[in-house]
Amino acid sequence: MTPVILVVAVAVMTYASRVSAMAVLPEPTGVMLRYVQRLPVPLFAGLGVFVLVGDPPAMPANPALAAVAAALLVAPRRSFALVLVAGLSAYAVASLIW
Amino acid sequence: MSIAGAIGVFGVVYGATARPVLGVPLTILASMIVFSGTVQFAMLALLTAGAGPAAVLGTAAMLNLRNLALGAAIRPRLPIAPVRRVLLSWFLIDETVGLTLAGDAADASPVLARAGAASYVGWVAGTILGVAGVEVVAFEGLAAAVFPVLFVGLAAIMARSSDLVVRGMVAAVAVLVIMTLWPALGALTPITVAALVALPRGQS
Repeated sequence: MTPVILVVAVAVMTYASRVSAMAVLPEPTGVMLRYVQRLPVPLFAGLGVFVLVGDPPAMPANPALAAVAAALLVAPRRSFALVLVAGLSAYAVASLIW
Repeated sequence: MSIAGAIGVFGVVYGATARPVLGVPLTILASMIVFSGTVQFAMLALLTAGAGPAAVLGTAAMLNLRNLALGAAIRPRLPIAPVRRVLLSWFLIDETVGLTLAGDAADASPVLARAGAASYVGWVAGTILGVAGVEVVAFEGLAAAVFPVLFVGLAAIMARSSDLVVRGMVAAVAVLVIMTLWPALGALTPITVAALVALPRGQS
């Protein structure tokens, strides 16, 4: 399998999974609907940790830790913009210090 | 737009990292037709490690399983014709799902379309900058901070109840522990953990 065909195959699989969920599979109801509605928060929280520690995992740099700490601090306000501003501001300040 | 900027930063890192492995045309083509940072970085890591097509396709299939759940979660918010859903499914990525579900509009398709288009442009443009040789060291540091912050923001706006807050915290701790003890699980870790943590509790 050439690299081009491999990339195209991965693209087809990826798009097929998106279309299946959005237009082919039946719309979830009842227990399944409640389950998929609970899924994004733990998924995003887990992905946040995953990208922070990296693959393979390693101790994050101080500015990245500062950014996440600031983001978590304002997270209870449930404002996406505020979380981003706080995180990036902390990153900028921490980068100057370290 | 803030999401597109963050995705663009990661795109730069992807472009610079993928260029020696895939070459310039294929690196850009991958971003244009796959449009999934998780899948593309996993594919890159496997190819760099010398893995074969079966391993790449198997990993991509596993990672794409989360699209089934995310698509199912977003679908009730898209009361539109199936053809439009097929078209919009191109934009089904973690970040756009978060923004789409966070709003209160009965029809969230405009949010998905705008966030998806901006994210797509950011991802492809970032990839092109990365393969063009933009100094990637500065972007690596920024990307290491931007994406965790991005996911904190997405989790925050979607955590509408204390139950979801607890589930999010449990998932974060579980991913940290599993990544530390069994790092070989890689990108499957957050997906598997989320699937388990989202299960109904005993009393519900």
